[in-house]
Amino acid sequence: MRHPTEGVLRRLLDEPAGVSEPDRAHVAGCPVCLTGLAAARDDAAAAGAALRTDQGPPVDVAAGWQRLTAALPAAPPSPSRVRSRRTRAALRRPAVAALAVGVVLAGAGTAAANDWLQVFRTEQVQPVALSTADLVALPDLTGYGTVEVDGAPDVHEVPDADAAAAESGLDVPEVAELPDGLSGEPTYQVGEQVTGTFTYSADRAAQAAAAAGEVLPPAPAGLDGTSVRLAAGPGVAQVWESAAGLPGLVVGRAVAPTAFSTAGLPFETLRDHLLSLPGLPDDVATQLRAFAADGTTLPLPVPADRVTTSSADVDGVPATVLATRDRSLAAVVWVTDGVVTVVAGSLDTDEVLAVARGLQ
Amino acid sequence: MDLVPHGRPAAATGVPVAAVVPGRVPVTIGRAGVAMPGRTAHGAVRADLGEVFRRDYPRVVGFAARVLGSRDEAEDVAQEAFLAFGRSAVPADEATGWLAVAAAHTALNLLRSGRRRAAREETVAAAADAVVPDVAEAVLTREDRARVRAALAALPRKQAVALVLRHSGLSYAEVAVALDMSPGSVGTTVRRAEAALRKELIRHASSD
Repeated sequence: MRHPTEGVLRRLLDEPAGVSEPDRAHVAGCPVCLTGLAAARDDAAAAGAALRTDQGPPVDVAAGWQRLTAALPAAPPSPSRVRSRRTRAALRRPAVAALAVGVVLAGAGTAAANDWLQVFRTEQVQPVALSTADLVALPDLTGYGTVEVDGAPDVHEVPDADAAAAESGLDVPEVAELPDGLSGEPTYQVGEQVTGTFTYSADRAAQAAAAAGEVLPPAPAGLDGTSVRLAAGPGVAQVWESAAGLPGLVVGRAVAPTAFSTAGLPFETLRDHLLSLPGLPDDVATQLRAFAADGTTLPLPVPADRVTTSSADVDGVPATVLATRDRSLAAVVWVTDGVVTVVAGSLDTDEVLAVARGLQ
Repeated sequence: MDLVPHGRPAAATGVPVAAVVPGRVPVTIGRAGVAMPGRTAHGAVRADLGEVFRRDYPRVVGFAARVLGSRDEAEDVAQEAFLAFGRSAVPADEATGWLAVAAAHTALNLLRSGRRRAAREETVAAAADAVVPDVAEAVLTREDRARVRAALAALPRKQAVALVLRHSGLSYAEVAVALDMSPGSVGTTVRRAEAALRKELIRHASSD
């Protein structure tokens, strides 16, 4: 009989009842498996020790609940608002709010994916369906080379639309009519252009693949050391707060991301190689390659089991509409002349589309 | 806690375009979302939130603490996870696993961001007049913990989350459901994570 997998050996340590009787019997009499089992036990013990946390005082559930309800808009105002100022300040920043929308729509792990999807000059947005399980497993770009970001993005509030337009150089869209439940004036935030450089390292890529138990696909000659320069922004965002003082609607506009190769092979070659790396399902890689061949499309990975996507038009321009399946959030995204605009919020798709189409 | 930038390539970090490049920056939360109030400002917080909170809050704090190595920011992470949960439509019987994944991801993002250091420094500054029982011991512990956190942050994300969930006491079946994996692959993922973690720790230790 073949040896049980290392996963079976590992489970044998924790849940022997979860391992089949033939496997258990095999391991008990197999020197190879017993050695593997001992190694698994050692590693598990080391990991257990490393991850041990101090007990500390018991968690104060009542205080935690008070804090949570203070942060929940539906709860009555609490006399002792415990939620930290830092959190509220962060949530109030529109860039962060916009990002939060993105995160909600995308689920975890897409940060890594999008690090390398930036190699497109964006003229269109296309949704790509991924499952959340795939997203968690997507490769992290830093595993495949070095990433240098030039300076920290400086997102700051400006007093009004004129100041936002002057600083960003963008037309600041004006919302004609706010959805129900929102009112008042938005806050305006401006973010400067951010640039960064990714340099592919064959050594690192091989290490990352090995760590994931995968074999790195062969890379084109000359790819090692290829650098791609990334640029995004500037951008401007308007945020309307909900009754709880948190963002209810975000209207953002920014110069769409671009990328170009500064050393080594063309970025399309790098992109195609990155797309072939372990972690990305083959069908998705194929899909990406197919519609991004001209380098003008920004694929927008979405977790298919949590987000629905559809097409719409905003004043004649094709737009992508995203909504979480629980209907708590929606966004519409479109690109015109290298400028991407997003309307997102805790709204339904009709509401975000109405706002988008009403922008002036 | 802060909604933290991912801190990496970040061509679009901090500018609104990032909204169309989902997740490329903060990824505060795991599989399903981050607190994004507004819609529910009109009253749609799920009815079973209190019940789930009372049942799971200490455990969710524990998940975050296991990633972060301390309770310092674990409650912030747990609060974010519950805020997101409160607005979600996650089925009640999947709540614990969902919260576990959300807390683990949020904490891992925190680990991987430069903000964490800054936040910790703030905490230290705020607690400057607190009594420190044994400075030498505290420093040592902090170094050890930092090494473990660096190693944890370097793991592939799915491995790191599976590792944390398993070592927090979730069964293989529970980890499988929470991460959309087959039960059979949980052992493999955890095993690889442990081997990689140990290797990282040895590598860090030998490079000291």
